[in-house]
Amino acid sequence: MSKRSTFKASLLLAALSLVLAACGDDLGDVETIKLAVNPWDGSAVNIAVAAAVLEGEGYTVERVEIDENAQWAAIAAGDLHASLEVWPSGHADNVASYIDGGGGVVNGGELGAVGKIGWWIPTYVVEQNPAAGSWQGLQDPATAQVYATAETGDKGQFLIGDPSWVSYEQDIIDNLGLHLEVAYAGSEEALLAAMDSATSRGDPLLFYWWTPHSAFSKFDLTAFELPPYSDECYASGAVDCDYPDDVLFKIMWDGLEEGAPTAFAILSNFSYTNEDQIFMLGQLDAGLSVDEAAAAWMDANESVWQAWIPG
Amino acid sequence: MTSLAPQSVGWRRPLGYLGLAVVLLGGLAWLLPEGIGAFPQEWDVGLGPAVNEIQQWWISNRRDLGVYLYFFDPLSGSIDWLLRALENLLMAIPWYVHVVGVGMVFGRWLGRAGGLAAGAGMVYFVALGLWEQSVQTFALMTVGVALAVAIGVPVGILAARSDRVHRGLRPVLDSMQTLPAFVYLIPVLLFFGVARVPSLIATVIYALPPVIRLTNLGIRQVPTESLEAGLMFGSTSGQLLRKVQLPQAVPSILAGVNQTIMMALSIVVIAAMIGAGGLGQEVLLALRHQEVGRAVEAGMAIVLMAVMLDRFSHSLVGQGRMGGGHHGEGLPYRNWWIAGGVLAAVAIAGWTLGWTDYPTALQFSYAAPIDGAVDWARDNLYQLGNLPVGTGPFSDFLTTYGTRPMRLYLSEEAWPVVVLFFGFVAWWASGKKLVLGSVVGTVVIGLLGMWTLTMDTLSQTVVAVLMAIVIGLPLGVAASRRDWLERGMRPVLDTLQTIPSFCFLVPVVILFNVGRIPGIIASVLYAIPPVIRLTNLGIRSVDKEIVEASESFGVTRRQKLWKIQLPLAMPTVLAGINQTVMLVLAMVVIAGLVGGAGLGLEAVKGLARSDTGLGFEAGASIVILAMILDRITQGWAARFQPPSSEGD
Repeated sequence: MSKRSTFKASLLLAALSLVLAACGDDLGDVETIKLAVNPWDGSAVNIAVAAAVLEGEGYTVERVEIDENAQWAAIAAGDLHASLEVWPSGHADNVASYIDGGGGVVNGGELGAVGKIGWWIPTYVVEQNPAAGSWQGLQDPATAQVYATAETGDKGQFLIGDPSWVSYEQDIIDNLGLHLEVAYAGSEEALLAAMDSATSRGDPLLFYWWTPHSAFSKFDLTAFELPPYSDECYASGAVDCDYPDDVLFKIMWDGLEEGAPTAFAILSNFSYTNEDQIFMLGQLDAGLSVDEAAAAWMDANESVWQAWIPG
Repeated sequence: MTSLAPQSVGWRRPLGYLGLAVVLLGGLAWLLPEGIGAFPQEWDVGLGPAVNEIQQWWISNRRDLGVYLYFFDPLSGSIDWLLRALENLLMAIPWYVHVVGVGMVFGRWLGRAGGLAAGAGMVYFVALGLWEQSVQTFALMTVGVALAVAIGVPVGILAARSDRVHRGLRPVLDSMQTLPAFVYLIPVLLFFGVARVPSLIATVIYALPPVIRLTNLGIRQVPTESLEAGLMFGSTSGQLLRKVQLPQAVPSILAGVNQTIMMALSIVVIAAMIGAGGLGQEVLLALRHQEVGRAVEAGMAIVLMAVMLDRFSHSLVGQGRMGGGHHGEGLPYRNWWIAGGVLAAVAIAGWTLGWTDYPTALQFSYAAPIDGAVDWARDNLYQLGNLPVGTGPFSDFLTTYGTRPMRLYLSEEAWPVVVLFFGFVAWWASGKKLVLGSVVGTVVIGLLGMWTLTMDTLSQTVVAVLMAIVIGLPLGVAASRRDWLERGMRPVLDTLQTIPSFCFLVPVVILFNVGRIPGIIASVLYAIPPVIRLTNLGIRSVDKEIVEASESFGVTRRQKLWKIQLPLAMPTVLAGINQTVMLVLAMVVIAGLVGGAGLGLEAVKGLARSDTGLGFEAGASIVILAMILDRITQGWAARFQPPSSEGD
C-alpha cells in the first residue's frame, strides 16, 4: 500500500471511529489502544491480529516496539495498554512487583499458545555420537568434552542467550553431575549466530532454546534428553529435570477495563493455539508482512476471532 | 595554558620504577597469608537492593505523587506532542522536496559538489525504503540536540564563571558519558513513559556533555585583553557575557554541538530498545532475523545522517572539510526568497505530475551481497583447510593465552595487591594526586560487589587496547607516509566510528565464536580510529627541520621513525590511546551481548531482569574503571609532552 493511501485509510478510519464513538458504542474514553510489540515474531503476529480486530471495532491502534522487560513499567503507567505474549518463566519478578504488588498491571488471561523451554542440539550431533544427546552421556567427562570450547577448557559448554531467560541450568548440571559449564551468549541474536556458525561446519553445540520458534525452520534441531518434568522435582528446590510447559499469558493496564471496555473484553478473550501462531510464522518465512500473515489467518479462521468480540 | 609545565621524563627511569614495583608487589603477594583472593563478597554494601527498593516504591506510588502528575507526566506529554508534530510535518513534505531543499542548503554552504552529494545522500534514504524511519530518527535527533543545547549552553556558561561548578561538574559529565545507557533505560521509562520521550531523554543524557564542556572551554579561552577592553568601557558582567565572551566562544560552542550530534546518533539503536523506532528499530529488526545486510543498510543510513550533519555543522564553524567549499560559491541564487521559490516550484511540479512515492523501479538494496559476504567469510575464513589458521583458531588462541589466564590471575590475586598496583600505576602516570583516587575507586568497586566481574572486564579491555595499538600504530605510521593512504582511510575510519556496533554483532559471533573474543573484536573495530588518526597526525606534525637535520646525519628510515618521529609524536599518540581506552570501555555492554560476560553482561542483566540496582552497580563500576584509566592515560600523555610545546 502506498503511503498516501495508508494515510487516507487511517484518516477514514479515524473519522469512522469518531462516528462510531458518537453512536454511543461503549468504546470508552480511551480510543487509541497502544499495544506492545516485543522483539520476536510470535509477538508481532499476535499484535497484528489484535490490531485488526480492534480496528474493526472502531479503535485506533498504535504499536510500540519495546523490550519485554521494559514494557512492564510502561503498561503500569498506562503508556501502553497491553502485551499479549508473556512467558511466565522469565517474568516472576515482574509479576510479583507489577501484578501481585498492585503496580498497575493486571493478568489478562492465557494466550492459548503454550511454549516449551528445553535443551537442544543440532540433529547431526546425536547421529554421530548418540551418547552426547542425553544427560546420562554427559556424566562422562570424555563425552561432555565434545562440547568443550577454548572458554570452558576441559568441560563442555552449555550456551544460554539472554540473561533474562529463566534458567535452572546450573541446578540441573550440578544435581545431575554433568561435566558442563554455563556460558552466556548475551542475546538471542548472538545465540542464533552461534547456531548458524556451528551448523555450517557441523560442530557440536548444546544450548537453551524453545518452541515455537522460527529457528526450527532453518536448523535441524533435536531435543537433548533430560529426566522428564515433574512437579516434585521443581518443588524439591533441587531441580534435576526438564522444564515445564510455559503457559503464555497476556497482561494489561489496570485502567483499560474502565477506559476501553470493549477493547478490554476483546483482548481478554483473545486466544488461539500454537498451530495458529505457527501458521502465521510460516507465512512470514514465505515473505509475507506481519499484517498480511495476520490477514491470511483471519480469512481462514473467522469464527475464532469473531468469538472474541463481545455481543 | 598556564599550568605548570609537566616534567619531560625519559622512558627508562619510570620503566625502572615499574619493574621495582612489580618486584615489591610480587613480594607482598608472597608475604600475604594464604586465602586472600578476590575482594570479599561479604563487604558488599548492598547498593543494588537499595536502588531496587526506591524503584519499587516509585512504581507503586507514583500515580499519587504530585511530582509525577504535575511535572513528569505533563512534561513528557508536551515533548511527545512536539516530536509527533515535527515528524508529521516532515512526513507531509514530499521526499523530492526534501532532496532538493537539502541539496540547496548544502550547496549554499559547501559548494556545488557538496550540494549534489547531500542530495544524493537524501536519495539513499528513499531508495532503500528507509524514508519514514530516517525522518523519525532525524526528528528525534533534532529535538534531542536542541534540548541538549538549550540545557548545555547555560550550564557551560555557569561552569565557565565559577571554578567550583566547573570542578563539581567534571565527574558528573564523565559519568554521563561512560555510564552505559542500558543502566538508565528502565528508570527513564518510569519517569517519562514510553516510546519517543524516554528515548529522547536517554539521548540527551548521553549527548549533553560535549556542549557543556566546549561552551565552558570557549568562554574560558576568550583572551583577557578582550575582557579588559570591555571592562574599561564599563560593561556589566552580563554585557560582557553577551557582547564579548559568547560571540568569541561561538566556534567552540558549535564544535561542541557537532560532537553532541555525533553522540546522539551513536545512541539511536539503544534508544530503539525503549520504543524510539526509526532507523535504530530497523537495525534491531534486521538482527532479529540475522539479516546482516539489512542491518548494514540501516546502519549506513545512520552513518550518512551523521556525515551530513557533521559536514554541515563543521561548515557553520567555518572549517568546511568537503574541499573547495566557500560561502557564496554555491548554486546560482542570491537569497532565500529564490530558494523558497525553487522549492515551491518543485513541490507544485511534483503535485501536478502526480508524484507520490519513490518509483519502485529505482529502489535498490545491497543487503544480498553483504549477506553473501558474511556466509563466504563463515565458510572460508573460520579455518583455512586443516591448518590452525583462521578466525576460529585465532579466537581460541587469544582465549587460551590472553584473556583467560589474565582474568584468572587478576580475579584470584590477593585484592590488596591489585589495589596497590593500581595506585602505583596512577602515581607513575601523574603523581600523588591520582593515587588516592584510584585506590579509593578500586576499593569502591569491591564494595559494590563487582570485583571479580571488573577484573574480567579489565582483562578484556587490556587485550582490546593492546590489539588496537598493535594494529593501529603501524597503520597510522603508514598513513603518515602516504597521502593517498591517509585520504583513503578517512572515510573508512569515519564509518567505523559511526556505524552502530549492533551491525557487527552477528558477524563477529559467526567468525570468532561466542565468548569474550567477539566482543573484543567489535571493540577494536570501534575504538581503533583514534590510534590511527592521532599517530598519523602526531608524526605529520613533527617539526620538519628536526627531521631534515636528522636526515643530514644519514639516519636510516627505521632510526628516523624510532628515534625521532615516534618519540616526538608520543604525546599525540598517547592522546589517541587515551581515546581508544575510553571507546573500548564504551563497548563493554555490546561485548556483553555477544558473550563477553563481566560488567557488560551484568549491565544487560540489569535491563533484562528489570534489576536496576544490579545495573547501577555494574554501571558505576564501569564509570569508575573508565575514570581511573582515563586519568592514568592522560597522565602518561602529559608526561611525554615536551616542554617546548608549552607556552605560546
